[in-house]
Amino acid sequence: MSVTQLVLFLILGAGFLCLLYFFAGRAGARAERGADALLEAREALNSLQSGLLPPDLIVRIFARDDLNFITSMESPKIEGVFLRERRRIALQWVAQVRKQVLNLKRFHSGESRRYAQLNPRTEIALAFDFAALLIACRVLQIVFYLRGPYAASGIVNRAVGAAGKVCVVSERSLAFLRSTNAGGLGGRSTGGSAALL
Amino acid sequence: MTKSMEVQKAADDVRGRTLAKIPRPLDRFIYLASMRDYNTGLYHHEGLASRFSQDIACEALADCHREVYRQLISCSLEDLVSQIEAYMDSSRTPARDFVSAWKGLEPYRVAVPVKSDPFSAEFLFSNFRIALAIVEERLTTAQTPRGAA
Repeated sequence: MSVTQLVLFLILGAGFLCLLYFFAGRAGARAERGADALLEAREALNSLQSGLLPPDLIVRIFARDDLNFITSMESPKIEGVFLRERRRIALQWVAQVRKQVLNLKRFHSGESRRYAQLNPRTEIALAFDFAALLIACRVLQIVFYLRGPYAASGIVNRAVGAAGKVCVVSERSLAFLRSTNAGGLGGRSTGGSAALL
Repeated sequence: MTKSMEVQKAADDVRGRTLAKIPRPLDRFIYLASMRDYNTGLYHHEGLASRFSQDIACEALADCHREVYRQLISCSLEDLVSQIEAYMDSSRTPARDFVSAWKGLEPYRVAVPVKSDPFSAEFLFSNFRIALAIVEERLTTAQTPRGAA
């Protein structure tokens, strides 16, 4: 074997090593992204179930008895403070729900197939639920902004119901990632809708 | 006895001996928040720690704090206003000073349990702001002479 051939083999070997290193790095990064997506989905689910969808919290945010109490005071100043605060809270609530639902949707359309075997029917139903839920959230944002928090109790009920269903399916996909959530409101959403009226 | 059973027993002890004597959720909420060390976030109660252990007492108080926090969030606005007025009376602070301090310092912000969901905490703060505006309005109305408006 000549020196030229030896150098050629060495260069080829170094090239293969570089390729191997490159692909190993990419696989590692993909695994890391997958783990991040899983944790993000778990956090989104915890936030929805414990923080945003507990029926007693939703009932309280949109409670008519609070509005009746305020109007009975016949004070335009207090009514103004109340409606401003409630609208802010309602907008914040729907924005948070939308954000967490988008996180779950991202997980389902990307990573969930690796961890959970959902049948095609469930996947299609889930896709519809996500789409309906995101549209409902947009409609709620517009209605809350234009007409205040008490103008769309029917849509709130339907959105909460759809969000509950999405949570149940996501819970199944993430069942292997159990995490305890010490905070939150404690009463976890069961997937049913909170009746507001 | 497992640790969770001991915590449960200690929490029942807190409910039965101490919290039962405090009539309103707001008072219980402030009492339990005052049991927590601001620097460490750990709850301290000498009597409870001597009956159980410091660790068990801390967890039991944290459980009770979260429970009272949930109760407070579930209160109607009317109920919250009555609780603030009753608490204000029991504090023996002049009403105007009390409202001014609570509106300015917002002491309820540091009284929420650790790891509370940020949205539920924000909802409670919003309710406090509305309730304080109502208490302030009532004070103004009570001080305005009849016929002055």
